[in-house]
Amino acid sequence: MKKFSLVEFSVNHPKLVVVLSILVTLLFMMQFPKMKTDTNPKNMLPATSEVRVWNDEVEKTFSLYEDMIALGIGNEKGILNKDTLGKIQRITDEILKLKGVAARDVSSFTTIDNVTAENATLKVAPLMQKVPEDEKGIEYLRKMLYENPLFINRIISKDGKTTAIYVPLEKGANGKEIADRIREIIKKEKGDEKYYIAGDPVARDTFGSEMFKLMAIFAPIAGMVMLFVRYLMFRDLFLSITLMMDAMISIVWSMGLLIGLGFPIHIMSSMAPVFLMAIATDSMHIFNEFYFRYRETKDKKKAIIETMHAVSRPVRNTALATAAGFAVLLFMNIIPVKVFGGLIAFGTVALRILSFSFIPAMFTFVKDEKIEKIAHAEDIGTDRTSQFLKKLAGFGTYKPALTVAIGFILFVLAVIGISKTKVNNNLVEWFKKDSDVRISDTVINKALGGTSVGYVVALAQDDDYIKTPEAMRYIEGLQRHLEKLPVVGKTTSVVDYVKRINRVLHDNDPKYDAVPETKEMIGQYIFLFSMSAKPSDLDNVVDYPFRRANIWVQLKTWDAKAMQNVINAVDEYKKANQTPMNMKPAGIAYFNLVWNHEVLWDMVRGFILALIVVFAILAYDFRSVKWAIVGYTPLLFTILFIYGVVGFTGKDFDMPISVLSCLSLGMAVDFAIHFVSRLRQRLKEAKRESLTDALLWTAARPGKGIVRNAVLFAASFAVMIFAPLTPYITVGAFIVSMMLLSAIMTIIYMPALIVLMKGWLFKGEKT
Amino acid sequence: MKRFLIIAIAVIVSFALFGSAFAATADEIMKKSQAAFLYQGKDFKARVMMKLVSKGGQERIREMTMLRKNFGEIGGNQKYFMYFFQPADVKDMTFMVYKYPAKDDDRWLFIPAINMVRRIAAQDKRSSFVGSDFTYEDVSGRDIEDDMHSLMKEEKFGGKDSYVIKSTPKAADVDYSYKLSWIDKANNLPLKEEYYDKRGELYKVFSADEIKDVKGFPTITKRSMKNLQSGHTTEVSYSKTDYNIGIDDSLFSERFLKQPPKKWIE
Repeated sequence: MKKFSLVEFSVNHPKLVVVLSILVTLLFMMQFPKMKTDTNPKNMLPATSEVRVWNDEVEKTFSLYEDMIALGIGNEKGILNKDTLGKIQRITDEILKLKGVAARDVSSFTTIDNVTAENATLKVAPLMQKVPEDEKGIEYLRKMLYENPLFINRIISKDGKTTAIYVPLEKGANGKEIADRIREIIKKEKGDEKYYIAGDPVARDTFGSEMFKLMAIFAPIAGMVMLFVRYLMFRDLFLSITLMMDAMISIVWSMGLLIGLGFPIHIMSSMAPVFLMAIATDSMHIFNEFYFRYRETKDKKKAIIETMHAVSRPVRNTALATAAGFAVLLFMNIIPVKVFGGLIAFGTVALRILSFSFIPAMFTFVKDEKIEKIAHAEDIGTDRTSQFLKKLAGFGTYKPALTVAIGFILFVLAVIGISKTKVNNNLVEWFKKDSDVRISDTVINKALGGTSVGYVVALAQDDDYIKTPEAMRYIEGLQRHLEKLPVVGKTTSVVDYVKRINRVLHDNDPKYDAVPETKEMIGQYIFLFSMSAKPSDLDNVVDYPFRRANIWVQLKTWDAKAMQNVINAVDEYKKANQTPMNMKPAGIAYFNLVWNHEVLWDMVRGFILALIVVFAILAYDFRSVKWAIVGYTPLLFTILFIYGVVGFTGKDFDMPISVLSCLSLGMAVDFAIHFVSRLRQRLKEAKRESLTDALLWTAARPGKGIVRNAVLFAASFAVMIFAPLTPYITVGAFIVSMMLLSAIMTIIYMPALIVLMKGWLFKGEKT
Repeated sequence: MKRFLIIAIAVIVSFALFGSAFAATADEIMKKSQAAFLYQGKDFKARVMMKLVSKGGQERIREMTMLRKNFGEIGGNQKYFMYFFQPADVKDMTFMVYKYPAKDDDRWLFIPAINMVRRIAAQDKRSSFVGSDFTYEDVSGRDIEDDMHSLMKEEKFGGKDSYVIKSTPKAADVDYSYKLSWIDKANNLPLKEEYYDKRGELYKVFSADEIKDVKGFPTITKRSMKNLQSGHTTEVSYSKTDYNIGIDDSLFSERFLKQPPKKWIE
């Protein structure tokens, strides 16, 4: 066998192997300075994807900005006073000077156009050109604000306590950096005002930068915890570090390859180091077995080779299963998912090569006496862990029917839980409740129209159709219909401008706050508006040939569901009211809905494919479909339980959770492979032993490796529960529970199943 | 000490004099340019085709007849009368501007669909002219006294000897922080203007794309204004351009806004 010669070669030339490993590692490390990062979730979908092409088109047609920051300013005593207004003016002026800000289209008291009529004169001018000097001026401003429906819930809250400055960003500007600049600006202001910075670019870019910080902090902490727990297990720092190095080397190789190939590091690939660290814990089985073997042979080299002989098959197959599980992601649609799958698959293969070369080589450097001391403790007769495991396995072995019955009840419960799953995604909720991003978003969403913007684009067949009274009335009706949804805070369209002009031209008579009767009137009102207002005001809501109108829908939540509700409401309205126009959703809220949906279902598809592939590998590995089914059970149960709990607790089934399903598959299957392989090996080696004894032996000896693996894993990931971003907490909690659950499932449930089904399992084999 | 002070004062004074002489030259150039660009002839008429082009290549057309008559000095009062042909649904719409230096304009608009003339407040001369990238000031001229002018250099521009003038607005509420103009030494017309925003970045560029001689007056018959930040461009071309055609003062009235005489608008 080839692998064998690799082990022997490594044991015979340990120094060469170690030096070679380190050299290769340095080679990969040289790629690191080329690292590029990409935190924009938009790139989850290729630029050619339908939604991106459509959104780009909508942005171009209506001169829209992809990204907008909202700066909320609140004052309990009301913002309409000289002092606060002065601050609004100063802050706006400073924001206009920031690089990356699309200054021409910043909306604030001092920049937003107001159309009014006074003494038979039509006036289009910024709402507040100068801060009012006296009460009279402030009263006038108040009147202007509340008289114009375009302002309410946009730049002034109904209670007059909150305003917002909307800051569109130029393409490519970093939302977090600009948010930080804005924070510096508001820091200079003193007083009772409170400031809130919100918007998708802030959430997204803050998340991106936090993510890298977290990876830089939590991956090493997880590594240190692993090192420490390993040390507790083996009492040998050298070997613990060896195991650590094993993981580090594979991380460097994989990341080096990724960077070297020119891929940017994405949200998903940034999680790769932690995943690889987790997968590397599988080499625990080598150590576990080595100490047992050493106790038996007392010859280091022989023990190493024997160990490798005993564990090579399961270790190789678990690696194969894990690599295959991730490799199926290569066949998915979403690029970062593909990259992630390939990355982990490569890392897993690298880890296994190291397990057969680097690790045995390092073993040879350990002094015999030291091994002896540790190995002494490794006796399944006296070891407390092994005894405990025997008892656990005993429960399953001696009361198989009860165990399976309990399992079945849990299974049913889990299925009920899963049926309650809510699929949803909310970028802002990836931050903790007490985080700046989340508080700002909540406050602004409560006071004003909403920070999340979606569009509904009305597409007509003919030029100038939008100017017809039918089209106008239809859009107006749709707006009122959408505003009935609790998630919709405000809608704006060209109709609002036309109605405004109509009213203003007729001496502010509220009777004229309606769609005009003829197409000529509408056309001329729009022209009148375009004569004096900022060009973008009109461009944002209607295209040049007047074939398309853009309805802005401000949402009070970043829930992907919210945009789905809007789309459903549009369909509803269309069913009830005929129109030659087509309605199509667009905008960032729509994009979030689509990409979350795509990533999520891509992951689910990948997961199902991985399930099939892993089953095939199990069947191949065990040379038996029956054993594959048994080995599959703990895996399936663990996953079902966890998703059942997710369903029951009402936690959203979102992107991070769907990503985890693949990991759970890759990891949980390991335990089953080890257990079944070693059990069957034992049955062959110790021919006179009964099945019960063999099961108990398996639980005590390789079982200890399984539990060690699980504990190690769980301990290091428990660290993540203290992370400030919820997806990391989710990942941490998920992995901790998954590892412990699948270890327990393997130790208790598997023996029960094997005992119950022994007739079927061993048919044709001698028992 | 006393002597030193005297010398110092002398130096400062001479510099100040020299500086102001310099500024005077720049002011002179700008005044001449304004005269050549916007005050040529007693009156003026042109069929104006405006093409508003968005970043994405979408186009909007504004077609109008523009009539202008000077009242008083160069740099003084002017009256404008505009009749729209396009877009189609604003046909018959008319627009009138009384332009005064150092004072807000008076503007009137006739809206044919409701047969109504409305005065339009004109507080902001820097606002867009009929939705284009040109501002009202770009069309009718900005007061020379509103900016500080200085001659930066003289250079060849497009093969023509030209002055480069830097104009910095005296007031803070202007959309640009300074403007550079390339003025043709031969005919005083602006060949190019660059507008820099408050961050000091170039954001708007005016260019004279075609200059023709009309009745002995060199006239810019094609021009464009490009907003580099929004990617929006406005291209303007003049046809049927004519000077000194004898426009009556009475044309510039509310009555003719509603019923413009055919002979002037065609």
